[in-house]
Order: sequence, then C-alpha cells, then structure tokens
Amino acid sequence: MSVAERTLRRDRLDPLLKVAFPLWVVGTVLLVLFPVYLIFLVSFAPGSALFGDRPPLVITGVTLQWWERVIEGGQLVAPLIKSLTVATLTTLLAILIAAPAAYVVSRLRPALAYTIVLILLVTRMFPEFTIGISVATWFARFGLIDTYLGLILAHLIGSLPFIAWILVGTFETVPRELEEAAQIDGASKLGTLVRVVFPLAAPGIAVASLFVWLYSWNEFLYARLLTTNQNTLPLQVFQAIDRGTLQQMATVAAVLTLPILLVVYFLQRYLRPGALTGAVKG
Amino acid sequence: MPGDTGTRQPEEIASRGRAEVAVATAGGGPSQETLRGRLIDWFRAHQFEVWLTLPLVAYVLVLTITPIINTFRISFTDPQQGGSSLENYQRIFGGGVFRSAVVNTVIVAAMSLVLELGVGLIVALTLHASFRGRGFVRTITLVPLGVPTIVAGAVMLLIFARSGYLNSIIFLIQDIVNLLPGVDWQYQPISLTVSGGVSTLFTVAIADMWKVLPIVVLIFLAGLQSIPEDIYEAADIDGATKWQRFWRVTFPLLIPYMTMAIILRAIDAFRIYELALVLAGGVEPVLGTYIADRYLPPTSDEFTSSAASIVLFGIIMVFIISYLKFVAPRGRAEA
Repeated sequence: MSVAERTLRRDRLDPLLKVAFPLWVVGTVLLVLFPVYLIFLVSFAPGSALFGDRPPLVITGVTLQWWERVIEGGQLVAPLIKSLTVATLTTLLAILIAAPAAYVVSRLRPALAYTIVLILLVTRMFPEFTIGISVATWFARFGLIDTYLGLILAHLIGSLPFIAWILVGTFETVPRELEEAAQIDGASKLGTLVRVVFPLAAPGIAVASLFVWLYSWNEFLYARLLTTNQNTLPLQVFQAIDRGTLQQMATVAAVLTLPILLVVYFLQRYLRPGALTGAVKG
Repeated sequence: MPGDTGTRQPEEIASRGRAEVAVATAGGGPSQETLRGRLIDWFRAHQFEVWLTLPLVAYVLVLTITPIINTFRISFTDPQQGGSSLENYQRIFGGGVFRSAVVNTVIVAAMSLVLELGVGLIVALTLHASFRGRGFVRTITLVPLGVPTIVAGAVMLLIFARSGYLNSIIFLIQDIVNLLPGVDWQYQPISLTVSGGVSTLFTVAIADMWKVLPIVVLIFLAGLQSIPEDIYEAADIDGATKWQRFWRVTFPLLIPYMTMAIILRAIDAFRIYELALVLAGGVEPVLGTYIADRYLPPTSDEFTSSAASIVLFGIIMVFIISYLKFVAPRGRAEA
C-alpha cells in the first residue's frame, strides 16, 4: 500500500462528517476566541451595550471614553510601569540565577540530573500559599511590602524551578565535544561557558525568559499578599471587579492581555507538541 | 590567544596536583581517607561547579524550603501560648466555611479535570486530523495561554453574569430555532455567577478549562503523534471499525500522556484561586479563597491560614499518590 493510499484511507470522511467537520473546526475557533473578543468589545462599547437581558454581540459605535477615564483616573499608567518593571527584572534575575546552575546539572550523570530536576519540580506541588504565607509575613517584617524588590523576590520563587527545568533540557542539547574543543584551544571553564555554551543555548534561554516574563506579568497571588496600595496590572483588574465598573475591568484587562498575545504569537513555533514528548518519556 | 592560554592548562593541572599533595601532607598520613580531606579534595576539583550552582541552591533553600517548613511550624503553633498544638486545625475544621471550602474545592477540581480532559482530547483529535489551515487553527488554540488568569475570570464574569453574554448567545440560538415552523421557545435569561451552589462552581470550572485548554491539547497532541502509523494499519487489516480503532488503539496508547495531564492539572485545579475569587468569591468559598481570606486583613490570622494551606497540600498529595498507586498502574496493565 502506498503512502498516499494510506493517508487516504486514514482520513476518509463520511459524507456527513465532510459537512460537519469544517463547521466543527470553525465552532472551536470561535469558542476559543470569543472571550478575547468580548474583553475588547466591552472596553470599546458605549455604556448602554451592557444593559438588558441580551447585551449585543456586535457593536456599531466605538467609544474611547473608558480608555480615557481609566488613563485619566491614574488606574493604568502606574500599575503598567510596576508590572513591566517587575516582570523584566524578574526575568533577568531568573536567568542569572538559574542558567549557570542548570548548566552544571545538565553535565551530571542523567539519573542524578533527573533527580535534581524532580526535586525542584516537587516544590511546585506545594500550594503557593504554603510558601507565600511565611514569605509575606517575613517581608512585612523587613519592610518589603509594596516594594518592587519584594515582589521580584516572590516571583523568582515561582519561576526558578520551572526555568531551571527548561534550561537543563536546553543545555543538554549543547554538545560536550564543543566544550572540550574550546578547552583544548585554551579557553578557561568560565570562558567556555560564556563564549561557547551560552551563545549556543541562546534560543532556549530566550524561550525560557519569555515564559518567566509571562509568569510574572500574570502573577496575582503573591502580588496580592505583598501589596497594600501599589497595584500591579492584575491587581488593578481585580480592583475594578471588586469595586469598579465592568468597562473599567474590561479596559485594564485588555491592556493586560495585549502584550501577551504578541508573546504567544512569537512563542508558537516553539510550542510544538513534540516539545513535551521528552518530558513524558523521561 | 592560543599561545598564552595553551601554557596555562598544564600549569593548572600542576597546581591542582600540588594542592592535592599539600592536603595529603597537611593531614598527616593518608588524608584522602578522612571525610574532611575528601570533602576538601572534592571541593577543589569541583569549585567552579559549586560556585555556579550556589545562587540557585541558596535561593531555593532560603525562599522555598524554609518558608514551607515555617508554615508547617506555624500551623502547629498554639496562637495564644506559642507551644505546639492542634488548636488551629481544630478551629478550622470546626467552622462551616472551611468544610464547605474543602467540599467545593474537590467539586471544582473534579469538574475541571473531567471538562479539561474531555474537551482537550476532542480538540486534540480535531487538530490531529489533517485539514487545510490546520497550522493556523493550532496557533489560534494557543491564544488562551496568552490570556492572564485574572482576565479569564473577568471575561467569564461578563459571560455568565446577569445580563451576560451567555444569555445573548442562547437568545441568538432561540431566534434561529424559532425560525423552524411550529417551534416557539421562550428562553428565560439566567445568571450563574451569583446563584451559588454547583452552577457557580461550574463557571469556575469552565473558566479554568478555557484557560488551560492549550496545555492539555499540546500534551494530547504529543501523545497522538507518538502513536506509530503501522499500528493503525494492523488494526485496519484486522477489520477494526473507527470506534474500535479509537478505544482499542488510540486511547490505551494515550494513557501515559493522560496521566501526565491529570497530575499536572490536578495540582493546579486543587490550588485554584484567582478564578474562584472572581467568579465565586462572594458566594462559594474554595480552599484558595478561604486561605487568602484568613491571611489578609481584616482577619490577618496566619495560624489558621497556614493550617488550611497544609490541609490543601495534604489533599493534593493524597490525590496524586492514590492516583499513581491505584489508577495509573491499572491503565498501564490494560494497555
């Protein structure tokens, strides 16, 4: 049987399926996208659009009044700056702390490396609150509530095990022969790491950084425990839900969503299903 | 450059040799045999690696392991006398809010897991079939990954609330259905977020399902792609129907991936916090919101909140261990 015949046989669709399948795919796409559409719809819709039993699914007039109000009310710029700063600094520190260690682990015997990664990942099984309660109590004592430093330190707790896991996998793909060659050429251990290993691992490090950045940008729980008045963007969304209008909520949520959609767009070529195969087989 | 560094290598080896000799003589006798001597030797040989790992090890010890131990300690500390006691656990288990939080957490986790695995598998099967524009549809399916959890909660609030968009959609379906002759369906608008009970928890599970759909789909797609084509050929030759092909070939071979999905998702499903806070905060407590309520002002009680977080950890552990012990091996045996 030829390959073409085989694929034909496998994908042979019943007549009913031939009509239903495309509809089904379109339906899935709509369901996945609908919530994102709604966020932007509500943030641009005139106020009357949200009243009644049957709010309109399509709007005719677009208004910028909610965006103007949110910006003028100081609910957007300050949290945006805090979120951006914390996410960026967390990412830089996470790479600085995790990358050298992940390199060393990747050069250990496989069984040992696997055990170490497993121990790191087990810490992620604890509820964040179990870690967060003690951390928040200490940070309050040291005056780290409402500071950038406190939040960055907290976000590192959540991201380090994860990024170390990704980076161990990345460094494993860098051939040892290249390191040996560099050392025969006289490079020091540190020189080999900085000039040979890290550049070769750069794409993996970039993907790991994006994940950490996303985590910190999204993070809500630690932010809530460690904040009393300087909100991050996720906290600002919650404040709008708690005691604001739905339009305020949608507008801040739109700002929070926008950059991440871009990031996911860039990430999608790394998010191949195959990327997870190793984790299951290992 | 090769000239000047080339000579460094043997020097380094020589100096390391000298250091070892020095250690051996300083210890007086065969110091490599003593524990201290061996430790010093090991450290000298692996100095570089030790310095590279130190920051991460220190960070995890100080800001992950120590807080976990400390929270355990707080949960067993008597809030008045300071000695160790079970007082905090007795207090939370005595309260009705905590008990319903435990029940609700289990209900939400169960509903989320069933929804996520079911829908995730269906979407993965859809995306595994070959059709035009599959790459584009796969990319679209990743979108929820890029939507912050708190935003997912906010959207579900817009959908499920009174005068929410779920009603708009059902009204739209009603209008379409009523075009058929002889059908007269009058839909009554509903509001799920404030009604309390299982329907409110259901909105939390739906929100969670939407948010993590990409992850579950990626895991299942990896599983589907790992199944070799010739197994299907063999099944075809044996005359298997489509239905049999799925249940006798695809499904058993997906079980390791399902185990991975279940464990990954269960940990997060029990820990659910933001979505429950936004969608059910006022009506139905779960453990996440209960812990936060106890810890944050006005209650500001680190003792009972610690105890509740340990209970949550216990629930997660019990689930994972019993799943791995009882459910996963049986599935493997069948496969």
